[in-house]
Amino acid sequence: MTAPVREKEAQAALAAPGTPRAAVLALALFEARRLLRRLPVLLALVGYTTWLVWHNVQPWDEFPVLQDADRATQGGPLFVALAALLCANQAVLRSRRRDTERHFEVLALSRGQRTAAHALSVVPLALLVAVGVVAQFTWEAVKPGAIGHGSPAELLVGPLTVLLFGALGVLLARLVPSAVAAPLLVVVFFLMFVGAAFPFAGETGTAWLAPVVGTASKYPFPSGLLGRPAAWHALYLAGLALTAVLLSGSRGRRVQAAVAAALAVTVLGGAAQTRDVPEATAAARQRASLTPEKEQTCLRRGTSEYCAFPEWAPRTADWERVVRGVQSLAGGPAQGQRLLVRQRLEARYGLDVDSALPPATTPGQVTVGTAWGGNRVPEFSTAVAAVLVAGDEKAAAGVCDGRMVTVMWLSLAWQDDPEAQLRHVRLDDSLSGEAIVLSPTDPLTMTAGQTEVVRALLERPLPSVVGRVKAHWAELTSPKITTARAAELLGVHAKVGPDRCEA
Amino acid sequence: MRGVIRALAVPVWRTLPWRTLGAAGAVGLLIPGLPRLSGAEPAGWVTLLLLRAAALVLGLGLAFLLDDPARPGTTPVPTGRAVRTALRVALVAPLAAVWWTAVLLLVPGAHRPPTGDVTLEAGAACALALALAGLAVRHSEDPHPGRPAATALLAAALFAPLLLPDDWPLFVPAGDPRWDTAHDHWAWLLAAAGTIWLLTLHEPLRRLFRRRSPRPRRSG
Repeated sequence: MTAPVREKEAQAALAAPGTPRAAVLALALFEARRLLRRLPVLLALVGYTTWLVWHNVQPWDEFPVLQDADRATQGGPLFVALAALLCANQAVLRSRRRDTERHFEVLALSRGQRTAAHALSVVPLALLVAVGVVAQFTWEAVKPGAIGHGSPAELLVGPLTVLLFGALGVLLARLVPSAVAAPLLVVVFFLMFVGAAFPFAGETGTAWLAPVVGTASKYPFPSGLLGRPAAWHALYLAGLALTAVLLSGSRGRRVQAAVAAALAVTVLGGAAQTRDVPEATAAARQRASLTPEKEQTCLRRGTSEYCAFPEWAPRTADWERVVRGVQSLAGGPAQGQRLLVRQRLEARYGLDVDSALPPATTPGQVTVGTAWGGNRVPEFSTAVAAVLVAGDEKAAAGVCDGRMVTVMWLSLAWQDDPEAQLRHVRLDDSLSGEAIVLSPTDPLTMTAGQTEVVRALLERPLPSVVGRVKAHWAELTSPKITTARAAELLGVHAKVGPDRCEA
Repeated sequence: MRGVIRALAVPVWRTLPWRTLGAAGAVGLLIPGLPRLSGAEPAGWVTLLLLRAAALVLGLGLAFLLDDPARPGTTPVPTGRAVRTALRVALVAPLAAVWWTAVLLLVPGAHRPPTGDVTLEAGAACALALALAGLAVRHSEDPHPGRPAATALLAAALFAPLLLPDDWPLFVPAGDPRWDTAHDHWAWLLAAAGTIWLLTLHEPLRRLFRRRSPRPRRSG
């Protein structure tokens, strides 16, 4: 006997036709094909694909943080999971509807084995969703601006939700053999998990009993500070799905033992995930918020120093580009001034709390947040310009005189399309009148007159303005200057009202 | 005719899918009832979401209204399908109205969206459910047309908010400036669904989609 023949025989023995295992697999494959061709599932898959494309082709998200990007894969599969619940349920009820249940009673497959096949039929759908999840995460991870680390447990949540909901559909069909039960459950689940009517909320505790806990973080955290029990949650979901499958199967002694084991896993995962943020994480959050210098790595680029949490180290190059751009327009000693750019975040109150950073009082220190891209760039640019002009962030927040013109021109003139950036950096997105100007720490304020002067400067050719700014740098950055005087020095003839300090 | 209806009322009442309707009614009462019982004060937008979900649940229950296990037996009776279907709806309508009032009362008055407009939405959902069930009855011999009708209603309700274009508002939050426009749309939807339901009432003279019966195989 040759080796290939022996191999074939071994394979045949593994899944010989007629053995229950082969029959279960064959039924599972058949049901999986039918499930994938059901209209609700197809609709949900088309919707999921559209969501994936729409969600990922956003031009402003060029700087993803991967410990947040992994979590962003979880919401999309919910629709597929709801479709899986409905269709798996209807598939189990089909034999009852067509009155073929009594024919199946005489076949080799027991009711439990048929249930197992129905539960297995959801697996290909879950695998499809897993492909979508991996594609979405990879798309983010290969962007040149991507930083941080994703968590496999967070990525597992999407496919596990599909499996869990499919298993719940099968269980529901065994418990309540009625066609109305699954649609009603879908409405209730939709309300709770998509419509946000889940009774528990927050970052920790019972909120984790929901399948998808996408705590919306206001700004990215270093992965060590997240404190999300992602692995326990994945274990909880897997245990729950397994319990649902086993409960809907037969009532043999071995099955009962397996139910007990699966239930134990679920309770373990469920209990572990609903605990508070671990003390070590809370302490690390405290340290990162209060004494970031002890946690960060510092790099010297050009004349300035950049201190960032280790995962953000590659991003210092982007910060340097901004600092270089602003300093190239400045005059006097500010041109070569040594700045310390320090990344800061407020992590003590949790992921979902938006808390403002107090301005730094150290001269020459500029704060940068953990988010980047979009409006965060002109905001940081404004902070750099304000520190170069006013000395430190605390003083910069109090600038109410003509220096504001210099600050805003320095911040914007080096950027592409400075007028659009001016609009982005102002809280009300306006281009005229008084407005609050955002920065990583305390905001600044522009009067209507200052806005007019800055816009007039931005409309002129850059070299002519740069020459005037460098020539009058000392006067333009002295605290006594009025906006009218600054406009005069820069050659802008505009009627500016009184400054905020004068009024 | 009056005599026929009187004679039919009790048997039709008995054949209504009471379990399905009861399950839907119970779930629909629990949706606004549970937050009320737990003492939570849901915000205005949550209240509207709960009421819409309750209306959808009512619609899902009504989608099963035309389920008739005895359909092969009732098809050839001299009283037409229109009378039997209308009788079913007429028997359930007062109960549904009482149920919907209870649902509205379960919502705290301070956060309740405009009652008439929400009732219009619920009415449109019910009309759509009946129209879908009517279509399912008309285009199949299945004695249980409720399942495909409910699936279609559910899919429509979950996907419509995502797929509808912005310039044709339907699911708007309370206080939105487009609220009145959206409710004009709901009224149109109610009228369209009602018309479709009326058109499906009678037995078709000719079947558009006739299901072919398998031909007996010739042997030999």
